[in-house]
Amino acid sequence: MTTLATFPVKPETRPYLDAFAGAAGEPEWLAARREEGLARFAELGFPSRRSENWRYLDLRGLEAHPLLPSVMGQPMGIPNGLALDDNAARLVLVDGCFSAVLSATAALPSGVWLGSTRQAIAERPGLVRAALGGVHQSFAALNAAFFADGFVLDLAPGAALDRPIEIVHLASGAADASLHTRSLIRLGAGARATVLEIFAGPRGDDGRYWRNDVAVWQLADGAALTRVALVEESAAAVHLGEVAATLGAGATLDGFVALFGGGTVRHEASVTLAGHGAQCRIDGAFLVSGTEEANIVTAIDHAATGGTTGELVKGVAAGRGHGAFQGRIVVREGAQQTDARQTSRNLILGRRASIDTKPELEILADDVRCAHGASVGELDEAALFYLRARGIPTEEARRILVEGFLAEPVEGIADPAIREHLLRRLSQRLARLEDVA
Amino acid sequence: MLEITNLHARLKDGREILKGIDLSVAAGEVHAIMGPNGSGKSTLAAVLAGRDGYEITEGGVAYQGRDLLDMPADERAREGVFLAFQYPVEIPGVNNMYFLRAALNAARRHRGEPELDAGQFLRGVRAKLKLLEISEDLMQRAVNVGFSGGEKKRNEIFQMAMLEPKLAILDETDSGLDIDALRLVARGVNGLRAPDRAIVMITHYQRLLDYVEPDRVHVLQGGRIVESGDKGLAAELERRGYGAVGDAA
Repeated sequence: MTTLATFPVKPETRPYLDAFAGAAGEPEWLAARREEGLARFAELGFPSRRSENWRYLDLRGLEAHPLLPSVMGQPMGIPNGLALDDNAARLVLVDGCFSAVLSATAALPSGVWLGSTRQAIAERPGLVRAALGGVHQSFAALNAAFFADGFVLDLAPGAALDRPIEIVHLASGAADASLHTRSLIRLGAGARATVLEIFAGPRGDDGRYWRNDVAVWQLADGAALTRVALVEESAAAVHLGEVAATLGAGATLDGFVALFGGGTVRHEASVTLAGHGAQCRIDGAFLVSGTEEANIVTAIDHAATGGTTGELVKGVAAGRGHGAFQGRIVVREGAQQTDARQTSRNLILGRRASIDTKPELEILADDVRCAHGASVGELDEAALFYLRARGIPTEEARRILVEGFLAEPVEGIADPAIREHLLRRLSQRLARLEDVA
Repeated sequence: MLEITNLHARLKDGREILKGIDLSVAAGEVHAIMGPNGSGKSTLAAVLAGRDGYEITEGGVAYQGRDLLDMPADERAREGVFLAFQYPVEIPGVNNMYFLRAALNAARRHRGEPELDAGQFLRGVRAKLKLLEISEDLMQRAVNVGFSGGEKKRNEIFQMAMLEPKLAILDETDSGLDIDALRLVARGVNGLRAPDRAIVMITHYQRLLDYVEPDRVHVLQGGRIVESGDKGLAAELERRGYGAVGDAA
């Protein structure tokens, strides 16, 4: 690639540069974006732990053993109990590529467009092009170079969906590989949608894969998006998710992330409240055990007046697990009457588990209400004794308390079907948790 | 049912609280243990229920012929020992019904009985809730969270009614109750009197004993039982106060 020669190339990016071939038959604009992405990745390299946003995540394993993009086309089904019983539509990606066999997207009302990113590139190129613009951080740049597919949900102004759209990202674990997906949600003025995204890989130690998922959400004035992510990746998998959302005036974003499994899992949401009176809620829960790592990173940018942000993130670390929450809220000069609240509560089970939490407020306006709080503690001994005094065996009692702790943010999910689904998955995850003591 | 012999217990800091308790409670009996603050009443309840933080230095406790102190707290409960807490614990995020069903099923598994299905469980719950005039809404909330003091105490007795223990220890269940709540609690306790069940009520005041008539009354003072008698002793204590007991003994 001659274009790359002008950039200094970070050594850890070399295998990815060598693997880059571009995708045949793609439009020129896309080929150009891919090359730009690759060049930027080569220049930036892997994020260093000195970089504030990545300080709690250990990526040395990934750096030492590159996982290159690969299209596998492994046939597989959706595991029992993983997905919802009822939805407005379901779109399934297997190893990062759209699976027509497993998807059901035909029954959507008019004004709602849902399809794979590949299909959107063919049918709605302008939309995808917009979503690929902007300056990318390192892995988003790599994603631009390599993404195989993803999904696009586009709602016309005023369009509304009663039932959730379900997106299921399956990993087969068939080969060591990285899976790059790029998605877009665009809601026209006053449009409303609920999206459940499930990321899952094979149970057990099979499947050393790296999922690199990047999404852009655009909410026009008065639009409302609820998006819940359920992450249950394989024990050896790396999952890096990155979302960039922009909210127009009076738009509402209700986000929830449940990180319930995966070797190294990170979810970053950057939200810009660009219009007056936009509302943003980002809640989450993570549970790590064994040697798992989970990070929830949020960056909320209040760029307009009268915006509100609410965040409640709860984490539990067992075994030698490590979790982290980093939440940054910026209130820009002039973003008066902002109301921002952020809470991070964490529970550590056992001596070798650890959790970092770092809430951060940067306030440049004077007429605002902002508050944050963080805590890391152990299971309440009085509560544990109370359960045991009723005959509940110690280990079950500990599980019940952990479940109760993590259920609190989950209970806040407005959609009853998704809420019940997550509570069920949480309970099943806890039943498998071995190092609860 | 319960045989306490020369029981000595101290706190982790070395302070001795129980200094040689002897007490024998037979099946079918209701005993009241009374005493001033700091006499060791709640420590006795805690030691019997298996709470951490106490060291037994001498003596022992036999429950149905077994060494009670040798069993972990949860096993004691599954074997039929129930402690109604003086300060019931709030457990955010854990639903009352879920908690109660887990407790009932733990005991059933222990006895080799099948777990209750949702229908059986709910029927049992409704009957007992009615007895204690507890609203079903309360059961859908987190354990003791947002409960009034009276509701917490009634919830203890409700749990006791559901779990049907062989030995029930009530630690100051009457404290902080208004007269209506006291009557309800007493009704619950009286409903549990049975030939195969023993009840030990720990209380500061005679009040509860007006509604639940004890077979025996003991006075605990300075970590020892200093006087025992029939229900008449409670009335006498009410008149002359605890100060005179030690002198009389």
